[in-house]
Amino acid sequence: MASLAATFGRGAMTNGWTDVANADVVLIMGGNPAENHPVGFRFVLEARRKRKAKVVVVDPRFNRTAAVADVYVPIRAGTDIAFLGGLIHYALSTGKYQAEYVRQHTTAPFLVKEGFGFADGHFSGWDEATKKYDKSSWEYELDAQGFAKVDPTLEHPRSVFQWMKRHYARYTAEQVSSICGCSKEDFLKAAELITVAAAKDKSGTVLYALGWTQHSHSVQLIHTAAMVQLLMGNIGMPGGGVNAQRGHANIQGSTDMGAWNMLPGYLKLPRANWSSLDEYLKANTPKPLRPDSLNYWSNTNKFMVSLLKAYYGDKATKENGFGYDWLPKAGETDNYGWGYLFDNMYAGKMEGLISFGMNPVANGPNTSKMLGGLGKLKWMIVAENFETETAAFWKAKELAQQYYANSPDAARIQTEVFLLPAACFAEKDGAFVNSSRWLQWKDAALDPPGDALRDQEIIGRLFAKVRELYAKEGGAAPEPLQSMSWSYATPSAPSLVEVAREVNGREAASGKQLSGFGELKDDGSTACGNWLYSGSFTEAGNMMARRGQEDPTALGLYPNYSWSWPANRRILYNRAAADAGGQPWDATRASLRWTGTRWTGDTPDYKADAAPDANGSFIMLPEGVAKLFTPDFAEGPFPEHYEPAESPVENALHPQVSFNPSAKVFHSDLDKIGSVKDYPYVAITYRLTEHFHYWTKHIASSSQLQTHFFVELPDELARQKDIKSGDRVRVSSARGKVEGQALVTKRMRGMDVNGKRIYHVGLPIHWGFLGKVSGPLINNLTASVFDPNSGTPEYKGFLVNLEKL
Amino acid sequence: MMHVAKLIDTTLCIGCKACEVACQQWNDQEYTLGTFDGSYQTMPDLAPNFWNLIKFNEYERDGKLSWLMAKYQCMHCVAPGCLKACPAPGAIVTLANGTVDFAQENCIGCGYCITGCPFDVPRLSNTTKKVYKCSLCSDRTAVGLEPACIKTCPTNCLTFGERDALLHGAEARAQELRADGHAEAGVYNPAGVGGTHVFYVLANAARPEDYGLPKDPSVPWTVRLWKGPVKWLGTMVLVGGILGTFFHYVRYGPKEAHDVEGD
Amino acid sequence: MSKGTERRIARFSVTERTIHWMAAICFLYAALTGLALWSHKLYWLAWVLGGGSTVRGLHPWGGTFFALVLGFMFRQWASQMGLDSEDKAWLRHAYRYATNEEEGLPEVARFNGGQKMLFWLQSGSTLVLLASGLVLWWPELMPRTLLLAAVLIHPLAAIASIGGIILHIYMGTAAVPGAFRGMIHGWVSPGWAASHHPKWYRAK
Repeated sequence: MASLAATFGRGAMTNGWTDVANADVVLIMGGNPAENHPVGFRFVLEARRKRKAKVVVVDPRFNRTAAVADVYVPIRAGTDIAFLGGLIHYALSTGKYQAEYVRQHTTAPFLVKEGFGFADGHFSGWDEATKKYDKSSWEYELDAQGFAKVDPTLEHPRSVFQWMKRHYARYTAEQVSSICGCSKEDFLKAAELITVAAAKDKSGTVLYALGWTQHSHSVQLIHTAAMVQLLMGNIGMPGGGVNAQRGHANIQGSTDMGAWNMLPGYLKLPRANWSSLDEYLKANTPKPLRPDSLNYWSNTNKFMVSLLKAYYGDKATKENGFGYDWLPKAGETDNYGWGYLFDNMYAGKMEGLISFGMNPVANGPNTSKMLGGLGKLKWMIVAENFETETAAFWKAKELAQQYYANSPDAARIQTEVFLLPAACFAEKDGAFVNSSRWLQWKDAALDPPGDALRDQEIIGRLFAKVRELYAKEGGAAPEPLQSMSWSYATPSAPSLVEVAREVNGREAASGKQLSGFGELKDDGSTACGNWLYSGSFTEAGNMMARRGQEDPTALGLYPNYSWSWPANRRILYNRAAADAGGQPWDATRASLRWTGTRWTGDTPDYKADAAPDANGSFIMLPEGVAKLFTPDFAEGPFPEHYEPAESPVENALHPQVSFNPSAKVFHSDLDKIGSVKDYPYVAITYRLTEHFHYWTKHIASSSQLQTHFFVELPDELARQKDIKSGDRVRVSSARGKVEGQALVTKRMRGMDVNGKRIYHVGLPIHWGFLGKVSGPLINNLTASVFDPNSGTPEYKGFLVNLEKL
Repeated sequence: MMHVAKLIDTTLCIGCKACEVACQQWNDQEYTLGTFDGSYQTMPDLAPNFWNLIKFNEYERDGKLSWLMAKYQCMHCVAPGCLKACPAPGAIVTLANGTVDFAQENCIGCGYCITGCPFDVPRLSNTTKKVYKCSLCSDRTAVGLEPACIKTCPTNCLTFGERDALLHGAEARAQELRADGHAEAGVYNPAGVGGTHVFYVLANAARPEDYGLPKDPSVPWTVRLWKGPVKWLGTMVLVGGILGTFFHYVRYGPKEAHDVEGD
Repeated sequence: MSKGTERRIARFSVTERTIHWMAAICFLYAALTGLALWSHKLYWLAWVLGGGSTVRGLHPWGGTFFALVLGFMFRQWASQMGLDSEDKAWLRHAYRYATNEEEGLPEVARFNGGQKMLFWLQSGSTLVLLASGLVLWWPELMPRTLLLAAVLIHPLAAIASIGGIILHIYMGTAAVPGAFRGMIHGWVSPGWAASHHPKWYRAK
């Protein structure tokens, strides 16, 4: 999500599930939708039938998606950037890219400052002492007005286009084969199919999920895919896009509403160095980099002030900076990502934890460290449907002696645990925000059982009690709590309709619901809980509850079905689906068309009445066009192949900088990194269709479908080790071990990587020490290694050993 | 009444097992724990309380790896072998819509249907001593609903409808697949059992065994012999024996003992 | 000549008769329940004999007991059932026996060739019925090929067995007056013995 936001302007699936049916080529990589998104996968199958689309699957393992694909290419875990970089090189060297689109809708013509460079694994600005980049050389060359210089011919040697061409010249098919372990022929076969979409009237989609995000270089990886799609002219196109498949019904919603490093609507987290609202706005309102850039984030002031008005109501005034002071601020460089949080916890720097809908003992990398961290807290509140491994962390040693023999005994753990029974999804109303950014309102199917409460009531009661204690007993900094606007009919149990109305926003004086974020003001006259969702609950009612199935474009956009952010726009960046004259690249996929006075079709991602040449087509970016060159990321403006933290081989491109120099690695006593000498096999973790995360092992039906944890092994490796299906095996890493039955399969193969035979070991994740069925927690094996930009742990591609028991 | 049928387009099956759960749930089956047999299959075979199983078949031919998934259940034959073999009147019935249903209240648990079925579908329960199998959700179809598996299938791999129309659609789909390069694509609707009310579209119809389906299934010849000529022979022996001895008696009378001389 | 003063010749011992009638009862139950399961037209027998499930449950037991009793019968009579050259000659002319033209037939000892044949037929068919019946008892556990063979073999053996028994009952009752008494009371008249089993009679 961090990657897509930097590249295109918004961190979300660009298109949507129903639109996948419009594709001519579907590249599925870093995802396994047939297994993990089976309902959405119907649109892939529809594309095959309707458009004779070709489906290309690239994965270390022949999975259920590969089983129905046209082409399957096995690659080694953690080498996706090399594969995609190879595609960029293939496209640029054979001319199979959409030149007109690239010139018109991307930063390819932008000139990069002199002084930028790349050599021996590092971009310019690397400081070996601090292990950090000085990014000052990663900038555009600006003219006197502060706009980036461009060369529309793309021929200037310092143009982004030429830089890209040079950077990826090293990613030849031979090099891809040698790094990824796929055959050159397979790579070329895939490349040929994928670049079919370079034609103006063809489009190709990319579907990915956690197989891309769970790497120490995941953000760069997704950016590489975005670059490929921009070269193919696939962004904004129906049947195109870079489509992140979200793993939970509402994970897109949780990101939109402010994950760990954001305020709602992707507003930046306030930091201590921005001591006033003005300073905050100054630092976070970008300036346009081209004269025609719409630069929509220039409205940051309206979004932020309206958010503060939603938080503090009448107490937020122009005089007090709308209550900006009351917002908690992070330190200038503080990071509250998962890895940092638990590292701090393990170091004894945290007192308490409230865990809602999260099971960190199961989800987090390096289970021993999770257990160790929780054991150092004074208190922990877990609100859940079931007793989870997190709530029962203190029993880990007792319940799974073979894995946690070195953990402290329950008697020695001082953490006070409160397990609050919480309602499950079917017992709550509210909206799910799916991968397609559709806010789908639902009703509660039944009441929560027993003492279980809905989340909003748990939070409401906590809030009321804490506020009451502050009023009674006083305490440090009571203002933020006392100033909070909390005007719900039942303050201890706000209804989600009330909250949804508040999130949509209203006129502060009249209370009239806003019809969209275009009405937001920076003078305190509007209040809005999330500017992106403005328009979802208007005076006309709850737009999210709509179920109209009209399809005027015949492209499966269904504008009257639920409500899609932003502004009910179904395909993001859809302006780019049309050429310079505003006419669709492909008449059979006319999502948007300029009539001479207006844009018709989907809600335009553009001013509705602005001429095709008035503005850049990527309105959220200061550049006004999509970014091929992204200084935003920690490790460089162009993605480069780096090996995982634990790799069986040296980086073939630059052995001296093998691993991502900017990745975040932690160094507590439990954070060990293994070497290929002791752990010769590459492990991958994944989900199975039969289970949902660590949740359905509590459910009878899913427990029946996949009862037993298993270790999936290539038959070639199993023969060497004399292992047959059903034999018990142990898989161990530098952090821990797991044990289970072997599933020997031809669907996993040995791979030749730079002359070395490499084997993968496949580990499905869904078991734990509680539930109807039990098994090892896979994260016993994984390392506290994180992507520097997104903070996502590296769960795909780490080293293990394998023994027959 | 028109005949109904289920179509399984194996080219659209992704082995998600939603049909397995829907079947269990609608038919109120108790969930048990699965058996691990080194594959992704829920269990090695159908069970008295598990009527719908996706079989996963992994094989390599000409260097190309395939992982075929196809759901397995009662085929609802036009000329069902189970019915042919069943001794208990009313235990196996062909409904007006052409499907084959087991009426457990009439079942005596002999298991003859198992021998009659060329698809190895009926399962005898050890606890109830009755046989069970997919009923094509006769309780749903009776009120105009589609079977539970069809209702839940996320990929449109499963469809339900009027038999002739569905068969026509299946042939059209096979044609489409042949045009897309699957030269051997076809419909599995075996003539050996008079056709079925469950069809498969197979990308390689020449090798149904790759999907775990029997090639050219028919009611076993021993069962046909048993329920045909052997039955006539038996009737002949039984009736012939009784009538024969009777008329023998009428013609020849009893063998009287003669007195012993001098006695 | 009055019956009361007739001389009695012991034909079958109490043990022999007990075993015979136990076998007969088991056979009757197994055969009738078997017939009930064999044809829908005879399924009414199942209702008479306790209902379909009961019949399915008890038929294998009836058969097993029959086989067991037959085992005792085998031990008891097998040694007397050997076919000698006279039996074979008798059998060659059995049609004359059947048409009551018995002049010139070889003389018969305790059992005639037909009785001996019945003994071997029942012994053989029971063995086959038992083996195939065990397969059909647990169809869910049996290999399919065995099962498919059993459904054919079981009725064929039953047809042979029942056919033999029909003949046996006819011979033992209506066709040969006095024979039934031999199996019920254990004795026959000298005339009967001399007529039907002259060799045995003389040996007595």
